[in-house]
Amino acid sequence: MPNKSRSSLVLVGHGSTLNPDSSAPTFQHADEIVRRGRFAEVYCSFWKEEPSLREVLRMVEGDDIYVVPNFISEGYFTEIVIPRELELAGPVTHRSGKIIKYCEPVGNDPRMVDLLLHRARDVAPNVPPEETSLLIVGHGTSLNEKSAEAAQSQARAIREKGSYAEVSEAYMEEAPFIADWRKNTSQPNVVVVPFFIADGLHSYQDIPVLLGIESAPTAAASQQEVFRRNPYHLDGRALYYASAIGTEPLMADVILDTVDRFDRKHPYDPAA
Amino acid sequence: MIRDELARLIKDGYNALGELEFAESSDGYLLYHSADRNSLPEARVHHSIEDARQIAKYDSSGTYRPLKGAPDLPRGWLIELTDIDALKRALDYFYPGAISTWLALQAGTAHPVCLRQTLNRQTGMYRVTRKLTDDQARNLVTEACRSDGRCLRTILWGIEENQPPDFLPSSKSDPTFDQTGQKRAALPFLCLEACNLLVATARTAVKNSPR
Repeated sequence: MPNKSRSSLVLVGHGSTLNPDSSAPTFQHADEIVRRGRFAEVYCSFWKEEPSLREVLRMVEGDDIYVVPNFISEGYFTEIVIPRELELAGPVTHRSGKIIKYCEPVGNDPRMVDLLLHRARDVAPNVPPEETSLLIVGHGTSLNEKSAEAAQSQARAIREKGSYAEVSEAYMEEAPFIADWRKNTSQPNVVVVPFFIADGLHSYQDIPVLLGIESAPTAAASQQEVFRRNPYHLDGRALYYASAIGTEPLMADVILDTVDRFDRKHPYDPAA
Repeated sequence: MIRDELARLIKDGYNALGELEFAESSDGYLLYHSADRNSLPEARVHHSIEDARQIAKYDSSGTYRPLKGAPDLPRGWLIELTDIDALKRALDYFYPGAISTWLALQAGTAHPVCLRQTLNRQTGMYRVTRKLTDDQARNLVTEACRSDGRCLRTILWGIEENQPPDFLPSSKSDPTFDQTGQKRAALPFLCLEACNLLVATARTAVKNSPR
């Protein structure tokens, strides 16, 4: 990766006013990138926490700024909310002597497939893949069709590798619904990996209820003694529920790759 | 650099921000809750800047603090920081962007944005907030943003463009006023625009309005 020691990095997360763990992976990856000393400065900013998208650029002192959405897919937030709140003109914005480079969301990175497979093996290490349904679960929303497409394309890529007996996707807010996993999967083992950024409200509290492994939303992950008691035995099947893919430490590399990919796609133009 | 400006402000006598106080020490800077200023030897000592983030995350009962300006920081801790850069970063974890926002306002590079403009640009689930009436808006802001119990930021925006927030107590929009009421030499923690929490509250108010 090219030297960015004069550049600034802003990681943008969703954040939450209800769940303290939503912003944790964004800070975790920012801390790792600071440790590596790759950027002159690194800031986190959130839609629902502070610093807000409206104030973060005032905190940045450098004039070459990369903004990386720590979002799992392109969609409503990356296409509408973040550009609007940061007042971006497109992938490259020139403003008051500064250049703001708006990168793709981290979930677009080609290595997400490997991260998902790694997570799936990690949560169910002794389970034979040929007797396992792998279920990639996403948010899905009527506001933007790309949200579901992201999980779909990950599932397709994993399916093509042929290691799992069955690979499918399911969503919270559109069909196929997570709550229907029993009829949409056929194998004795079911490994569920949330294609989410954080173990926040959705992936830690809402989805376990939809899956039937909790009867009501529990306290936040950070306020529990044990993360998960896998496997859960439900209707004669063994269900393994992983933590959100975005909590994977390798995501710091994915963020750096995302910046690198931006530079390849938008080479420096001194005339601009 | 913002840290140099902070150093200058400290030399000018500023030693507080929100519920915090800070002081120069032989090894750098000390940062603590202002209510602990007379009991620092009993405070739990921290050295990591990131500990500031963790301390700011929960109140004394362990409840999550989604609003950084809420006057409910826990007590009983002391962070020893090695230099002005570390102090600046720690302050940003407690009160994000407070110093840079004040400097930007003074430099004329940042301006208050009225509530109407904030609400009118919302989309998705918050689009409905543009239906908030002026009366609802004034009541909402007066209650949800008040310094005693809700948020210590100093509000510089009004409901409509070029309107001052004259429906609030005058001290709430006075950057020289210490919002904790202690009359310390406090750096202002300014609010240039309604936050997402207020927008979410506006949504609830509109949804609950009689049709």
